Amino acid sequence: MANELLRIENLKTYFYTWAGVVKAVDGVSLKINEGETLGLVGESGSGKSVTALSILGIVPIPGKIIGGKILYRGENLLDKKENEMQKIRGKEIAYIFQDPATSLNPVFNIASQLVEVIRQHQNVTKREALEKAIELLRVVEIPDPEVKIWNYPHQLSGGMKQRMAVARALSCQPNLLLADEPTTALDVTIQAQILDLLKNLKQKLGMAMVLITHDMGVVAGVADRITVLYAGRVCESASTRTIFYNPMHPYTRALLEAVPSLALRREKLKVIPGAIPNLIEPPSGCRFHPRCEYAKEGVCTLKVPELEELEPDHYVACVRAQEIEAKSPLRNESK
Amino acid sequence: MTTNTSTQKEPTKTLTVAQRARGVSQWSIAWRRFKKNRAALAGLVLVGVVIFMAVFSPIIARYPPNQLPGFRTGEIRVPPSLKYLFGTDIIGHDVFSQVVYGASSALYVGFGAAAIAMGLAVLIGLVSGYYGGIVDNILMRITEIFLVIPFLLILLVFLRVSFTLVPSGVSGLSVVTLMIGLFSWAFNARIIRGEVLRVKQYEYIEASKSLGASNTRIIFRHILPNVLHVIIVLTTLQIASAILTEAAVSYLGFGDPNSITWGQQLQSANSAVREAWWEGIFPGFFITWLVLGFSLLGNGLRDALDPRLRE
Repeated sequence: MANELLRIENLKTYFYTWAGVVKAVDGVSLKINEGETLGLVGESGSGKSVTALSILGIVPIPGKIIGGKILYRGENLLDKKENEMQKIRGKEIAYIFQDPATSLNPVFNIASQLVEVIRQHQNVTKREALEKAIELLRVVEIPDPEVKIWNYPHQLSGGMKQRMAVARALSCQPNLLLADEPTTALDVTIQAQILDLLKNLKQKLGMAMVLITHDMGVVAGVADRITVLYAGRVCESASTRTIFYNPMHPYTRALLEAVPSLALRREKLKVIPGAIPNLIEPPSGCRFHPRCEYAKEGVCTLKVPELEELEPDHYVACVRAQEIEAKSPLRNESK
Repeated sequence: MTTNTSTQKEPTKTLTVAQRARGVSQWSIAWRRFKKNRAALAGLVLVGVVIFMAVFSPIIARYPPNQLPGFRTGEIRVPPSLKYLFGTDIIGHDVFSQVVYGASSALYVGFGAAAIAMGLAVLIGLVSGYYGGIVDNILMRITEIFLVIPFLLILLVFLRVSFTLVPSGVSGLSVVTLMIGLFSWAFNARIIRGEVLRVKQYEYIEASKSLGASNTRIIFRHILPNVLHVIIVLTTLQIASAILTEAAVSYLGFGDPNSITWGQQLQSANSAVREAWWEGIFPGFFITWLVLGFSLLGNGLRDALDPRLRE
């Protein structure tokens, strides 16, 4: 069994806005083992990004982490001081942002952006840092790295920029890479390339990765485990295989049904009715019940489901998970 | 910025100059755009002429500063001639020489006051915009106080008072410069703060935070270069307005009487506008010339540097 790298226990990150307190992350628990890829899946506004930002302690104002624990190699990151966190950010845990067009500083060329990060965490001269930077560009498969490194972000294509961003995140060999929708802003063909790159790099460098996405298709090929979030809570957490072949939470199922599939040949794509709830006043009981086709008045509306291990290493937060499983006509459909 | 240029200067040996040149910085793009703008180039020429006047004033001027060539000969308030290109004033100064010496005073006040004003404005704008919250609130209220007080009036009062307080040896022109600088940062600080608010929300700021950069580093290395275009434009316009303010203050008799400035010359010319037009016209012309130069330059720089106006 692999060693545990990061464990989040009951994390709560709230945003104190004028309209009220937005409970963006409300009791999320998850864990990542060394060298493992965790897919963090959910709709927009389900708390995926906020969870990742909380790990690094860079939740934007007016957000605040108000409870829980984030244990990185046994140490609680929430107890760390700002200057201690600055040493962890980038060196131990790195972050890749969604849009490479805005995550690189437009006024500096790639070289100075990479050298800056390398010299921040490693005691090397400028020349050594530059050589490392060029080496990194080679690692992320950029052609002519000696030339491209002097380019400014606006001279590079989207896929190239994302490779640069990946290189910057990897510059200090982090143990954990948080990739926040790294392919959403890219073309489909480039998406596949970046995913392949991340997958290969992860294996080469032996780091763990959290892949945040709303696209089930993206995690399918990359993740070892998947944790599904809805409205700031964990719905289901299991191995990728289990999530795809034996989903037990109605929300996970609904997500899978909403993926266009050649195998299923549906006439019309299923959608999940409604939208993610207002997180200032979330629905009572199970937060998914207003949109859930299995919801039962008096049960789902009242009882807050706990995350339970219903099968070995398969955690589900649904009161009716076992009842509806037997009834579901969809079970194993996608096999 | 320094790190940026210095890393560029030491590329690996395999790189040729041509290969390095592929990296086109925003500055070279801006310069390309600036060159196409005729008004901006005209501004550059106008300012350049005055800088030339200031640097070579001992050579260009026919008489040393404050000398009274017309006094002994009785050539007082004589109209322009070959001997006195711009005529002479009431006590026999050669107006041409005095106007030439006035160039360096104007530039001194312009650059000095702008440096003080923009230094304060940049610091307050960056801190206020970046930290937000209570810091922003306090700094912006202070800024607003400076915005609502009648600028010229308070400047005149402070000048009167400060001249009595300054130790001897400090030039009066420096006092005027300092005062103008101290009272004209507020407007610029607000604009810079607004720009910081815009830049702050970009992902690259969050990205550098996620890579372990400290607040000071983010402010000075990531935000400052991204608002630099605004600062440059504001500085240019601030120089123009400081020169104009000095002229106004001197004209009203609150300037430093011991300096040779165009404003002082305007003031002394005021007593005889009808009889000796040349006394006032030439300093006035050069004030307009220089202020116009800086304004054109500022507008040209804004067009060249504003990323939203990219072709």
